[in-house]
Amino acid sequence: MIKKILGNAMYRITLFIFIMITLVIFPFLPINPYVIHVAIMIFLWAYLAIAWNILGGYTGQISLGHAAFFGLGAYFTYFSLKWFHISPWIGMLIAAGISVLSALVIGYVTFKYGLKGIFFALATIAFSMILQDLFIAFRDITGGSLGVYYPYTGTNLLYYQFESEWPYYFIILAMLICELFIIKKMKNTILYFIAIRENEDVAVSVGINVTKFKLFSLLISSVLVSLGGTFYFQYYRYIDPSTVFGLDTSLEIVIIAIFGGMYNVWGPILGAIILVPISEILRITLGGSYFGVYLIIYGLLLIIVLRFAPKGIYGMIESFMNQRAQKLIIKISNNKGDDKQ
Amino acid sequence: MSIVEQALINGILQAGIYAMMAIGLNLIYGVLKIINFAHGEFLMISMYIAYWVITLYSFNIYTSSLIVLPIMMLIGYLLAKFLIEPILKDPEINQLLITLALSIILQNIALLLWTSDFKSLRVEASSYNIFGIILPSHRLISFIEAVVITILTYYMLMKTQIGIKIRAVAQSPEITELLGINSKQIRILVFILGTVLAGFAGIAIIPIYYVYPTVGQNFALIMWVIIVLGGLGSVTGALLASFIIGIIESLVATFYTVELARAVIFTLFIIILAIRPTGLLGEKARV
Repeated sequence: MIKKILGNAMYRITLFIFIMITLVIFPFLPINPYVIHVAIMIFLWAYLAIAWNILGGYTGQISLGHAAFFGLGAYFTYFSLKWFHISPWIGMLIAAGISVLSALVIGYVTFKYGLKGIFFALATIAFSMILQDLFIAFRDITGGSLGVYYPYTGTNLLYYQFESEWPYYFIILAMLICELFIIKKMKNTILYFIAIRENEDVAVSVGINVTKFKLFSLLISSVLVSLGGTFYFQYYRYIDPSTVFGLDTSLEIVIIAIFGGMYNVWGPILGAIILVPISEILRITLGGSYFGVYLIIYGLLLIIVLRFAPKGIYGMIESFMNQRAQKLIIKISNNKGDDKQ
Repeated sequence: MSIVEQALINGILQAGIYAMMAIGLNLIYGVLKIINFAHGEFLMISMYIAYWVITLYSFNIYTSSLIVLPIMMLIGYLLAKFLIEPILKDPEINQLLITLALSIILQNIALLLWTSDFKSLRVEASSYNIFGIILPSHRLISFIEAVVITILTYYMLMKTQIGIKIRAVAQSPEITELLGINSKQIRILVFILGTVLAGFAGIAIIPIYYVYPTVGQNFALIMWVIIVLGGLGSVTGALLASFIIGIIESLVATFYTVELARAVIFTLFIIILAIRPTGLLGEKARV
């Protein structure tokens, strides 16, 4: 569809270069640093939503507990840093490893026992809740519900700490772009995922090892989300179990993906571009005790999308474009008919 | 050893409260086939209404029900008619997401209106000491309330005309339509019944628990474990499971911590989902 809108190659390449240049110089423009923070948040949520979408949109397994991997990524980066003084760049990989292991556990239990649809969703919720409760319970190790805080010790590339916004901006932007590349590389595997989503029984009868592919989808999804959790920890340097493992976080990811459009990779980006600024603006204009207002809006938008536009905003734009194209075709063929007379 | 017995009794008392919520939720699932994630929020709303009515207008706990229950009925009716009925034919996962969204919306509206401060009622509390086991008076009363309501609900479902109709619609909406029963009315009625039961539960626990916007969420998640364990759609199962979960939770919380208790219960949940999703008394044994 992007191709249809943008027309020929010349157009697309110039547009692409224009976007790239804008993205690169953006953090250096003389604008309020908060705007850059919003951009970072947009990239982060888009990144997380796309990662979730690999399992949810492509493979059709709606997970409502993805915060589990997010939290594991954040906490284990903290542990590596605090206890072993390992650079977060490496801690990131350790945390991702832990996430993969936990994904294997939950994936095995749910997929092997054939949990689908709402039962799978409930299991994922339970999974993230277990982690949340465990991390609160063992407060000697994890700091409990008060969370953990890592002090800023000066700008240090090796230790993933920066004073200003722009390094974080480029890191998350790079992560997002890499993610897009990974998905592009996985195009063929994604076809298998879609087959599973469309009709699992048929997929099995065609010879697809459904459990293996679902597990694979979950693994990739969890690793990506875990890396996002590391970024979150390094950016805020404070995490606590109810935020990083919380149901709210899982739902935000899901809402952004579904609202934007969960059947392709641009939908979640669109969702993030629209929804994240809403939450940020509400947070600034309304302040402290109105903390949850954006969630009310997110909730309403989710209900509206699920009932009236299941393909999300992207789907709406797509069908709008298709309708216009069809009308154009009809118009042209009518004219042609007149000429023939 | 008396710690164990105390923990057991605590668990049983707690189970009474769980049972009230679980029956309502199970009825809703059995008849409407919908996973109502917002049930915890009904509890929360009824607690807030009771709190304000008692604090501002000097009602007491029992008279507050005169205000709380009608409001809950109204809320149940509006939700059933305008949100739930339209989505009955939607894919299950959509229904789940919509009720989840509803739950988030309600939680945050409460947060907006009443802040996240924990509110509590100042009530005289006493306790009875029977054979060395302490029974706090309010918990005991809640338990008795729960038992009474459970018996009443059971009686209604089994012996009354309306109960038979409800069970009929639960088994097969289409055929009951053919037999001249307005299944839409029954569904709305059942949903209202569910919200009212949550209302009862709210009134019952307000002397015991703090009131805050997310109090419902804690209950809701445990509810789901209870319902799946008991068997979706089975009221007896929900009862049985309430006690099992209540006791397990109490034992783990007493000897370890509350959060560990929840973690154990959720682990149990995943195991049950995997091994025996129909629960103890499954779909086969209806009510």
